[in-house]
Amino acid sequence: MNIHVVALVVSVAIFLLVIELVRRHRLTFKYAVGWLLVSGGAIFFAIFYRLLFSCAAWLGFELPSNFIFFTLFCVFVTSSLLLTVFLCQQNSRNDVMAQKIALLEFELKELKKKLN
Amino acid sequence: MNTSSERILAIVPAFNECGNIGRTVQEIRNVAKGVDILVIDDGSLDATAQEALLAGGMVVSLPFNLGIGAAVQTGFQYAQSHQYDIAVQVDGDGQHDASYIDKILRPIRCQEADMVVGSRFLEKTGGFRTSFSRRVGINFFVHLINALTGVKISDPTSGFRAYNKKMIALFSEYYPHDFPEPEAIVVAQQAAGRIVELPVVMRKREAGSSSIRYFKTVYYMIKVTMAILLHMIRQKPRQG
Repeated sequence: MNIHVVALVVSVAIFLLVIELVRRHRLTFKYAVGWLLVSGGAIFFAIFYRLLFSCAAWLGFELPSNFIFFTLFCVFVTSSLLLTVFLCQQNSRNDVMAQKIALLEFELKELKKKLN
Repeated sequence: MNTSSERILAIVPAFNECGNIGRTVQEIRNVAKGVDILVIDDGSLDATAQEALLAGGMVVSLPFNLGIGAAVQTGFQYAQSHQYDIAVQVDGDGQHDASYIDKILRPIRCQEADMVVGSRFLEKTGGFRTSFSRRVGINFFVHLINALTGVKISDPTSGFRAYNKKMIALFSEYYPHDFPEPEAIVVAQQAAGRIVELPVVMRKREAGSSSIRYFKTVYYMIKVTMAILLHMIRQKPRQG
């Protein structure tokens, strides 16, 4: 099978998978956007692969495959960094909630003591 | 201990301090009359909370372990919402001699300081002065904090501290979460807090183990140094 067809099929499959995950409420739109853009870009370059070759040559890559690997590497590093940011945000929110719950629980116990 | 209508809260963070916490609370009650004692049980798996309650402390139990910084900050949040005038931080492991509480409160009462740090190294007063490797690490932070802020604190890892209302408000909003003591000095200094250090005597812990005992000193130094340097470049939170 032609490699361009394989690339196109995989890109379309990822694109559709992301849409399905959003549809099933497993992914929210906020976090699906990035993946839709990346898989959309992959579909675009799978169709217009000559443009991909031109981009690789223009940027100075000797082989188009190196350009693809480099681009994927950048996408994953960025995605990983963004996920870490999200994780930190969630962690901070967890801490704040735990502190508030503990203080509220304490206040509630004190109130109950006073009422009794 | 407690003069006129000033309200003082002792914040006692504790994680798995069964065997120490009861004695600590009792000791504070004996020497610091009129001081409310709030034990922050940081998700302990043992009977820390029950022991603290039996000893006469108020106990706020965090639903899971958040770390010393978040535990202490919970105390500041309580102090802030209940409008305490002064907060004094005492470790729940029994290392801090509560009879020094009055001494470290004095500069706050006289309005000579916003934050007072109890130091093991200011005077050769005896007591427990920690291991050689720890002292190397502590010395490193003394110089780092001095170079970055111009403040010279001889015992920047000491958790035996007193704070006035200004510092309570500041730390209830932001208090470093991991190994917070050295960074908290930088935070206070950047908020134009007047920091005073007084000699105190500390004891060797009687039960359990220190939270940083199992970390290599070098790892601790690198981590805290990075935390302090990152704090220096961090965007300041908006006021109001």
